[in-house]
Order: sequence, then C-alpha cells, then structure tokens
Amino acid sequence: MKLLIIEDDSSLREIMLRALKGEGYVVETASTFFEAEDKIAGYSYDCIMLDIMLPDGNGLRLLEHIKSLGKEDRVIIISARDSLDDKIEGLNLGADDYLPKPFYMAELSARIKSVLRRGTASVNNIMKAGNISLDITSRRTTIDNKEVPLLKKEFDILLYFMQRPNHIVDKAILAEAVWGDHIDMADNFQFIYAQIKNLRKKLADAGADTNIKAVYGFGYKFTDNEK
Amino acid sequence: MKLIYRLIIRLSAVLLPILALWAAIFYYAMVEEINDETDDSLEDYAVMIIRRVLTGNELPSSGDRTNNTYSVELLPEGTDTPLQISFRDEKVYIPEKRETEPARVVTIIFADAQHRKYKIEVSTPTFERIDLLQSVLLHIIALYIILTLTIITVTAVIFHYSMRPLYALLKWLDNYHPGKGVDDLPANSNIPEFKKLTKAAHDTIERAEQYMERQKQFIGNASHELQTPLAILSTRIEWIIDNTQLTEEQFAELSKMRQSLHRLVKLNRTLLLLSKIDNGQFPEKKAVDLVEIIENEVEIYKDIYADCGISCTTTLPTRYIVEMNESLATTMVTNLIKNAFVHSELGSNVGITIEKGLLTISNDGEEQLDGTRLFDRFYTSGKKESTGLGLALVKSIATRYGFEIKYAFCNKRHQFSVKMSK
Repeated sequence: MKLLIIEDDSSLREIMLRALKGEGYVVETASTFFEAEDKIAGYSYDCIMLDIMLPDGNGLRLLEHIKSLGKEDRVIIISARDSLDDKIEGLNLGADDYLPKPFYMAELSARIKSVLRRGTASVNNIMKAGNISLDITSRRTTIDNKEVPLLKKEFDILLYFMQRPNHIVDKAILAEAVWGDHIDMADNFQFIYAQIKNLRKKLADAGADTNIKAVYGFGYKFTDNEK
Repeated sequence: MKLIYRLIIRLSAVLLPILALWAAIFYYAMVEEINDETDDSLEDYAVMIIRRVLTGNELPSSGDRTNNTYSVELLPEGTDTPLQISFRDEKVYIPEKRETEPARVVTIIFADAQHRKYKIEVSTPTFERIDLLQSVLLHIIALYIILTLTIITVTAVIFHYSMRPLYALLKWLDNYHPGKGVDDLPANSNIPEFKKLTKAAHDTIERAEQYMERQKQFIGNASHELQTPLAILSTRIEWIIDNTQLTEEQFAELSKMRQSLHRLVKLNRTLLLLSKIDNGQFPEKKAVDLVEIIENEVEIYKDIYADCGISCTTTLPTRYIVEMNESLATTMVTNLIKNAFVHSELGSNVGITIEKGLLTISNDGEEQLDGTRLFDRFYTSGKKESTGLGLALVKSIATRYGFEIKYAFCNKRHQFSVKMSK
C-alpha cells in the first residue's frame, strides 16, 4: 500500500511519515502544491493525505486536479480549518474523508484503514481481529461464527479498539469517540471501567482470543493474542 | 431628567424672579405717575381758587363738574405758619355722597398783598385712582403670567425643533448593537456642532467595530494556527508511547502531558467554535425538536453518571420545535445539561423542564454563583476542572438566536433558563 502525505509543516510531515511507515505502508511526502502536483502526475497512490492549506495554493484545487485526471487515488483531507464549508466542499469534490487538525495518529491510521477497506471491498463491511468479526452495517458481533449479543456502547468500544489494534488508547479519547462531546471532565471514568469490564467478560465467555489490556492511569491496549 | 425639562426648569428659575421684579418696578412707576398726575390737577385747581380769592372773583360752587371739594380759611393775624404746600392722603367726608371716602388732599398756605394768610385745602376722592391702580396691577399680573408661559413654550418648541439632529443621533446610537454592523447615519444637520458630534459618534463606533472585527479575526486565526503545532505535539507523544520501551514513570509523565494537551486541543476547538458562532458561520437553519435532543442527551448522561446516583427529572412536552442550526441547538442543550451533571454532588437531582417557551435546567447546589460573570469566557467556579467556555458558548448561541439566558439561585438550586419565545 502506497501513501502520499501532502503537508507543508515539516515536523508534522516527518512524524506522520515515521508513524505510517511503522504501520507497514510505503510512504512518500510532498510539502508544496507544486511538488504534490508533480508526484500525483507521475505516480499512483492508494491513499493521499491532503492538507488543504498549502503555502502555494489551496489543497481543494489539488483535489479537483486529482479527480480531473480520473485517478482512483483515495483522498483524506487534513485541515486546520475545522469548517463545515471546507468539509462539504471537500467531500463534494470527491474526498473520501475529512480529518480536522489536531488529530491523533491512531485516528489517522484508523481512517486510512477504513478508506482503503472501502476501496478494496466496498460491499464487505466486516472488521476482523483474531477470531472476532464485526459486521459494521448490521452491527453484529460474532466470535468463531457464534453470535455474541453486545450492547450498543459495547459494540462501539470494541469497534474503536479493533480499528486501532496494538495502539494504546487514551480512555479520555475513547470516551469522547464513543460518547461524543459529552465527556469534559477527567475525573469521572467510572462508566468506562464498567463498560470495559462487561465487554471483557462477554468476550472472554465467548472464547475470544483477543485481549483488552489496561494501561495503568492512561487507557487500554487492544491486542491480538495470536501475535 | 431630560434635557428639555431641565432647560425649562432653569429658564423658569431665572425668568420668574426677573419678570416679577420687572413687573413690580413697572407697577410702582405707574403708581408714582398716577399720584403725580392727581397732585398736579389738585394743585392746578387750588391755584385757580387762590387766583379767584386774590382777585376777589366769585369762587366756584361746590357742585361743579369736578369731584373736588375745597375750603378757604383766613388764618388769624400773627400766625407764623410759613407759606407752604403739602399733600396727604386721608378720609374725607363728602357731603354730596354723605359718606367718607379716601381722598388726596392738598393744603396751601398763601398770603395776599396785605400779608393776610389764608389756608386752602382742596381734596379729591381717590377711588378712581385706586380703581386704576387695581386694573393696572391685574394687567401686569396677567401680562407676567402670559409672558412667562409664552417664553417657556416658545423656547421648548424651538429647542426641540433645533435638537432634532441630536435626538436622531441618540436613536441611532440606541439601535446600534456591537458586532451587528452599523446602520446608516441619520440625516445630517447643517449645524457644525451636530455635524461634529455625529461624525465623532460614527467614527468611534466604526473604530469599535473594527477592533471587534480584528479581535474576532485574531482569535480565529490564532486558533487555526495552533491546530498544526497541536497535531504535531500529540502525534509525537503518541508515537513515543506506542513505539518506545518506557519506564512506568516516563509513561506516567507522558500520559499526563497527553492529557494536558488533550485539554488544550478541546479548549482551542471551543474557541474556534465560539469565533465561528460570533462570525455567523452557522447560517443554515431548520426546525429542530429540542425535546428529542434533550431526551438523547439525558440518556447519555444518565449512562455516564449512573454510578454517581444522580437522578434526573424531566417535564417536557411531546415536541418543542425551534428554528435554529441543528448543531448549535445540540451544543447549547448539551452544554447546559453537562454543566448541571458535572456540578452535581453524589445523589443529587438534575431537573429539566420546557414550559411556555422557557427551557429551565436546574441542579442542587450549596451557594449562589456570581451571575454577572458566569457567562464570561474563562470564568470557572474553581471547583472542577473545566475550560470555562461551556456557558460562554451557550450564551453566544443564545444571543445569536435572540434567546434570553438567565441564572437564578432559589430553594438551594441553580437554575439556568433560556427564554426562547416572546
């Protein structure tokens, strides 16, 4: 899988490059509109991360350019302007996703996976980890082909973990992802502990070969026991 | 007190005594003049009689056409009364009328060629003079009142008329709301003072608008510019956590860093949202059912705060539709409900009602909060960790849609109410 990062800030570019390489992707970078245009013309990428605020041009015009070339490249817009207009315009122009800055690397990598999965098997909306498989459209969970009934929030938590295997997930960020913008205070995570406890028990009872490890004082790490 | 009333009062304070003084002087001058006139005619009459006495002519009978009465008396020899003329007022018996009347009397001592001294007294009744003076007095009083009233009325009317540009300017200032742009200036006056005043007011407001605009832009730009460095920081910390062997101590430090960073990210995001609301970047409106939003939110918070034993009672109609931006409606409701839950002690109660266009969210509390600063940005009650922007956000949204938001503390409960309809 080959990715292109178009980002003018060198520090952010470097850490994205390092992190995505660590995930096993082939990654190239471009820092300006001009450089990016050059690379896009010459090569094909599976997914392009596009910062729309470039020093020498608007990234949205670059997106138009990519689409006008008839390329199949997936595009995730990365923007410091968390504005609805940009988001709508970007998605209308054919971007696959929109990620406002600042973002967590785990979030970006989950979005890349999701975009790439849509590319390869658009019908098949199933996530797998170990012997667990999640059907995202029908929201059904099966372990070793046996259905496990999960509550809505439990399903959301499991999905969030499975999109970020082997990453340490901050409980505050997990809470925000699952419960939306309702979590403000760092002093009340009792409800997450309870949810995770129930989820672990259900997974263990159904014989899942995965593990949700608590990382003390910080959050959780979802691992595949086979690895 | 309005300027015009103050002006009338001051004008009256000055005019009343001055006009009264003028009337008094005028009255006394008139009296003096009338007395003079009476005395002159008495004197003339007396001189006429003296002339007749001296020439030995017949004296006029007392029934002639004048009301005058007179007496001539030969003084005994050797009287050393000097020759003189004197006037006095006294009551005189008038035989024709058979009653006493106030009269003006002149007494003249004169001598003939033989040095015999005579005393002549001529009197004329003064009732005509008194009538005249009374009528003069009445007229002066009437004139005084009419003149005063006329001056004040005319001044008031002219003042009001001349001050029209000022009132127009004041109305224009009343209609101005900071941040909502400047209306057209009222029709300009030719008077240089008003021109100057209007220009000064206009310039000041325009400058204020510019500052506000610049400040808004600054907050917006600063928040945008912070996004990239924040992204770099968080991804780098994340990378270290994921990819390096860390001691427990290092890990704890890093996770604290990440939590602080997370707060910063949220803060920045909220600032951006605030600046977008203030810039009116949420134009699209639709019919939003607040009851549906509230019920969803309450569900989530009950879930989150289940372990704290916080109960929530709601009194809601089946639907409550408002025309507003959906995401702003959600933000407003969420922040109010979140606020109530977050600041509730274990086992306390949160109440939500919608009644007659009034959304009220209340929770138990110990003491009243500072209602004047509660909705300020970055104001926190200091108890819990919070950004201090939640209520500022609510206020900003409410203001945007012309809702009125209030805080009250009664029966040991904090009450936040949003008035959505007039």
